[in-house]
Amino acid sequence: MSRTTDVVVVGSGMAGLAAALAAVSRKCRVRVISEGAGALSISGGALDLLGYDNTGKLLENPWDGIGYLDANHPYTLAGVDNIKKALAAVADCLATQGLPVRHAKDANGAPRNFAMPTIMGTFKPTYYFQDDIDPELPNRARKILVISVKGFRDCKPALIINQLRRYPAWADREFQPFILPPPFNERGRSLNALDLAHAADREDGLKWLLNETRGIGANFDLALVPPFLGARANSPIRKQFAENLGCPALELLSIPPGVGGLRIRHALISHLRDLGVEFYENAKVKRGETRDGKCAGLTVNAAGRDVLHQAKSYVVATGGIFNGGTLLEPGKAREALFGIDIPVPENVEDWSEPEIFGQHLISRLGLKVDERLRACAKDGSAILDNVHFAGRTLGGYDYASEKSGFGVAAVTGWLAGNYAADNAGAAPTPDIGGDK
Amino acid sequence: MKVRINPDQCVACTTCVVNCPVARVTPLFPGPRMIGPAYERFRLLDLAEDKSLTYCANCKNCDISCPQGVQVSNINMLARADQSKKYGSSLRDWVLAHGELQAKLLQIIPAGLKNWGMLNPLTRAVLDRFGIDKRAPLPAFAKRTFRQMLKKFKQPELPRKIVFFPGCFVDVYDPQTGMDMVWAFNRAGYEVISPDGFCCCGLPMIANGFWEDAKKRAKRNLTELAKWREQGIAAVTGCPSCALVFREDLPGYFPDLTDKIGHTRVEDAQDFLMDCLDRGELKLDEPEQPDLDIIYHAPCHLRAQGDGLPGLALLNELKGVNAKNADAGCCGISGSYGFKKEKYDIAQEIGAELFHRIKESPAKYGASECGTCRVQMQHGSGKEALHPVTILRARLEGKNLAERSNDESLTI
Repeated sequence: MSRTTDVVVVGSGMAGLAAALAAVSRKCRVRVISEGAGALSISGGALDLLGYDNTGKLLENPWDGIGYLDANHPYTLAGVDNIKKALAAVADCLATQGLPVRHAKDANGAPRNFAMPTIMGTFKPTYYFQDDIDPELPNRARKILVISVKGFRDCKPALIINQLRRYPAWADREFQPFILPPPFNERGRSLNALDLAHAADREDGLKWLLNETRGIGANFDLALVPPFLGARANSPIRKQFAENLGCPALELLSIPPGVGGLRIRHALISHLRDLGVEFYENAKVKRGETRDGKCAGLTVNAAGRDVLHQAKSYVVATGGIFNGGTLLEPGKAREALFGIDIPVPENVEDWSEPEIFGQHLISRLGLKVDERLRACAKDGSAILDNVHFAGRTLGGYDYASEKSGFGVAAVTGWLAGNYAADNAGAAPTPDIGGDK
Repeated sequence: MKVRINPDQCVACTTCVVNCPVARVTPLFPGPRMIGPAYERFRLLDLAEDKSLTYCANCKNCDISCPQGVQVSNINMLARADQSKKYGSSLRDWVLAHGELQAKLLQIIPAGLKNWGMLNPLTRAVLDRFGIDKRAPLPAFAKRTFRQMLKKFKQPELPRKIVFFPGCFVDVYDPQTGMDMVWAFNRAGYEVISPDGFCCCGLPMIANGFWEDAKKRAKRNLTELAKWREQGIAAVTGCPSCALVFREDLPGYFPDLTDKIGHTRVEDAQDFLMDCLDRGELKLDEPEQPDLDIIYHAPCHLRAQGDGLPGLALLNELKGVNAKNADAGCCGISGSYGFKKEKYDIAQEIGAELFHRIKESPAKYGASECGTCRVQMQHGSGKEALHPVTILRARLEGKNLAERSNDESLTI
């Protein structure tokens, strides 16, 4: 196979899909090569930006923290303007697919993080969320209904209520648990949020959901529900459900399968397919071939056969240690496709800290890149001119302690896609890439 | 030689559960993660099998979505083979797995009579009792097999040769698609050889637990393929499931055979035709004609092979053709899975999204490389579904799809 394209993106998680979105929006021919479906499909789909600053302090406004990040943090490399453009591009795409996302604002209209409740009764700071509610409502709601379904072991209203009451601001609220009978009569596996969301997408399932919840929220300010309001991106269920219930509803973040991420993935992929992006699934990129400081192609294993995929430029969004984008061995770390060395202390014990929630080197471990997201050598020069890295391949940030995973993936993915489009000769847009 | 797949590569992330079409529509299947790697540990301890194993459709969406490279469906198929060996299989499953053999035995009976015999309401009621759902769209036998037709067809003198593995669906039920393929390869300068030595690829046997039968087929096919490989002639098939068997399953399941006889890959015919375009062997100089909308469905077994969607790409190379990917996941049929009485409704529910997309599409025709996917698409949407190469031929000949060429004269 010798068919070439403009931009090849490796990986179909948040970073890879955002890269494809940027490049195809610049009229490039784009091919996404992936092995596995990416963590987005199992996540809760709360798109975080920056939940905690670099001292571990919870950020009311994520933009306050971004200016204080280290010089090699991906957000610092991107710059505030590009972060805003990237988030807007992703949000626009989701909206066109019937999945509008919004962010909270304070009284002065300044953006702020939203404390998203989880099925564990904890809160996760997020930026964009999918629910159609007034973001101030959880703060002022006094009477709260907590709904789950019999047989859904991971979502227990009693546990959620107990946990929420441990937060001072929630201690004196009035809670009411409510358990719905299950939608299936047959004996089968224990239920998860996705089963219920799939059920709600079907006619009989929706009927079940609406019948069982009709009017039960009438005396409440807010209902907390599992993420069961449909698994599709463009589900009309959300609005119907709240009207039928009698009060606004907020979906809790769930452990995998978290449903919300699957909706986002469906929306992005559907949008990209409409724009003509090619998807090569179940294809393992073995290595990048390099010549004269450039990538000359990717050797890809497709059902036992090695195939060379060629493009003018490449985006690598292969994930971190867990997904095989970064390879480790004692005393050594390297990027998986090009074998680019990532400097680490020789003693593996120095890669982590005794404090479990501390700032571990291994969490920030990844490639050092220049402002165009190209891997760079010690002197700062780009190693490969036409390869841009995105998402968890990058070093310098700790998504777990910062709560910045999807934000960094979306921003660096979108930027890498733009830089790749520049490299592929796409017409420059006035304010991105081009002359940078 | 016993093959085992290490379940410990699985990290229990649930990505396969999210992408499993069967788990999506029925609580009777605990999902690939549970029945595959998780239950495999119990199997290694020789504990009793979970009954829901039979609900795995072997569609491979778990393998496609797994971020850790676990071959979940293969774990399931190996477990099913073990079950079948220990406890036997139903006659119904045997019948569905051995369609090729029945076609051979019934060869002397004219197709009209066979089809009347098989498809009349009384037989369907009997089959229904026996486990083949009476609503299932059983395909009808063709008058002649593809290979019988090809023997009667005089191909032009051509500089290159190619070996074509028809697969049972094209050979027994849909020979015209095979002839369209011959037309396309002839046009690209290839004489098509489709040897009598070929038999069923073995996938229906693998999926129904008849491991030794599948292995016999594998041996026969690999031996035939080796002859052509030695002459340097490439082999292709238009059926994604057959291709998957030759590319992945045989070396994975029967490494002793592929080590001994050698492993000949059978490539995707549409991908090969795209290469012919690149090399300038195939020219698309279609005559002026009205534009054509097509709604395309990507078979799961094609998506599992990492080569993208060459059949869709080929369609969109044609002037005036707008082929749109339905992008609606699995069609539900999974070979013989959707014919089974206890699975028919599951299969229809899985395919519902696809049927909806086909119905709402402005296109009058669907397209897919896989024969049973096409049967299911027609059954669920009412619109005719064609192989991409059939559409390629009609466009290059400048014919309306309703009046496309058929090689009926070769069936007399």
